Amino acid sequence: MAKQLLKGNHAIVKGALLAGCRLYFGYPITPASEIAEGAALYFPRLGGTFLQAESEVAAINMVYGASSGGLRVMTASSSPGISLKQEGVSYAASAELPMVIVNIMRGGPGLGNIAPEQSDYNQVVKGGGHGNYKVPVLAPNSVQEMCNLTMLAFDIAEKYRTPVYILADGYIGQMMEPVEFPKPVMNLPRHDWAIYADAESKDNLIASIYLDPEELEEHNRKLQRKYAEIEKNEVRLEEFMLDDAKYVLIGYGIVSRMLKTAVEKLRNENIPIGLLRPKTLFPFPSKKIKEITQRIEKFMVIEMSNGQMIDDVRLAVEGKIPIEFYNRMGGVVPSTDEIVEQVKKQLLQGERG
Amino acid sequence: MSANKDIKQLTRDDFVTDQEPRWCPGCGDYSILAQTRKVLPEIGVPRENIVWVSGIGCSSRFPYYVDTYGIHGIHGRAAAIASGVKLANPDLSVWVATGDGDALSIGGNHFIHLFRRNIDINMVLFNNQIYGLTKGQYSPTSEHGKITKSSPLGSIEHPFNPVSLAIASGATYIARTMDRDPHHLSEMLLKASQHEGTSFIEVYQNCNIFNDGAFFHLTDKKVRSENVIYLEHEKPLIFGTNKDKGLTFNGKSFDVLNLANGDKESDVMIYDEYEYDSTIAFSLSKLTYNPSKPTPVGIFRNVNVNLYEKQMVQQIEDHTASNGKGDLKSLLASGESWSVN
Ligand code: SF4
Repeated sequence: MAKQLLKGNHAIVKGALLAGCRLYFGYPITPASEIAEGAALYFPRLGGTFLQAESEVAAINMVYGASSGGLRVMTASSSPGISLKQEGVSYAASAELPMVIVNIMRGGPGLGNIAPEQSDYNQVVKGGGHGNYKVPVLAPNSVQEMCNLTMLAFDIAEKYRTPVYILADGYIGQMMEPVEFPKPVMNLPRHDWAIYADAESKDNLIASIYLDPEELEEHNRKLQRKYAEIEKNEVRLEEFMLDDAKYVLIGYGIVSRMLKTAVEKLRNENIPIGLLRPKTLFPFPSKKIKEITQRIEKFMVIEMSNGQMIDDVRLAVEGKIPIEFYNRMGGVVPSTDEIVEQVKKQLLQGERG
Repeated sequence: MSANKDIKQLTRDDFVTDQEPRWCPGCGDYSILAQTRKVLPEIGVPRENIVWVSGIGCSSRFPYYVDTYGIHGIHGRAAAIASGVKLANPDLSVWVATGDGDALSIGGNHFIHLFRRNIDINMVLFNNQIYGLTKGQYSPTSEHGKITKSSPLGSIEHPFNPVSLAIASGATYIARTMDRDPHHLSEMLLKASQHEGTSFIEVYQNCNIFNDGAFFHLTDKKVRSENVIYLEHEKPLIFGTNKDKGLTFNGKSFDVLNLANGDKESDVMIYDEYEYDSTIAFSLSKLTYNPSKPTPVGIFRNVNVNLYEKQMVQQIEDHTASNGKGDLKSLLASGESWSVN
């Protein structure tokens, strides 16, 4: 099939279809509503279900219920909507229910605006809800990846029995690019923990309650072992011109697109600079960052937030080399020229921007 | 529901789990559990096609005690979770066990929307007019003036009437019953299971620890006949120890007729639970907190309205009939999408 030119948000819906997801529960919110609208249009036509819930809270709980049935299920929202869903995510993480949650980030805090921001890093990557849990977070930076990472998200969710986030922003959601669709997933596995309407799985109980402290501790330890396993197996990143780099830029999502062009421009001026783009935010590519720390002079983190991912970079770098920082907030997207200028100022001349 | 030869052989013992109920001795929940275990073998559904979903509260321990599938969910969210369960797997007979705090406070929004949609789910609300699990705070059904640990000077809030709320939200099967009337309770459960659409059963449940006797006037042998009226289809709305009182609708609300004192029996309303218009059902529900009128129990409303999941299937069938079957490949290239080379 020929490549298709489409919007990021639509690529998510189509990625979900390819992944065999046929159940969607959601609540309208800009700039994520197109995902719900796409699901409403396509899912039922392939025998699936779309329901517009009465609230974000209801939507995540419907996802919780549907996931109990062992089927692939998803929801999507944007920043304030994700805050509302956090309760359900915590319960789902504990009950170990696979599900895919898409967050098309917008400007905050509060009502903020509907322009793209990256200020949900903490609420999504660091858990967000209550309790000792984490969720894998995939951060696409192209329309193609909106499709592919959505498919991957379903695999990871099932493999580890966990909610998985797609963390993108309004920019990638709205941008149009050509996409080559991967092959559809044909045979979905049966899960031994789920509620199917049959005798074989009758004894299953979905719950997140452990009244006995020792039992809950053991459950928590089990979850931590799972997260360690995810950290071992699921780190994904993109490297660009790292081999001989003395300076390395780190950014994810839409920012990484500007960073790549900035690196190209700076390389034209013979500046030894490269880019490291985390594609997974949990698990974070800490190992790679540690490794690079040994051989470069400085990092520079660029975010469309007040500096949230930079904390994870700091943890990996352990103070061994300087980390510069540049950011925009409120929905302002930094331009390539702006980044080039900041790199020259901060990385090369050592001035604070 | 898939037919199963073995269903008939199920007995209440098949629905007993190895879990010892953790309710206080004497709690009304035991009666609801006992009647549920009695009714489930009669509903014609194999155990593996039944799932109980709950939220948080004393009532919400229910899934541990009925040997079916169980989901012990999130406070207030059982209605939403159950909707997801049912739509993912329409073959399941889905039941929700909830309480007045769970369903009407934190879950109030999900409660009304469940009824509005009319998905085939049965909700049993254990109404004890108090927060039991958290040890005795006022709930959204506690009466005005109620003194509790969180309302030491008396509650200055007005209670919800769950039946009125369910009627206003468009619920298609609405019943009320009492833990102390096991026969009636089991009948309401059985009829709920037969109803196609969302069923709502409010059970007046005595919390003997934190709100003992809340329904004494409705359950005590000496006084109950004067205070309770049983709604029965095609029967006159008659009550009283000597069956000498009746209800008549004056166009605005219900009046009590005294048949022993010259009022005519022909003026007593004959009840029709299948009436689509909910005006009468609503007016009856409003008698609930009225000290000079009887509290109705029984089926307020039992009507067939488009089932959510049936409409869903129908819509697609209609669409397919005129547009052909949905096909992944063509859908991928449809919408705001353009082929490029
Ligand atoms: S606190 Fe009340 S409602 Fe809860 S188990 Fe005890 S008696 Fe029953």
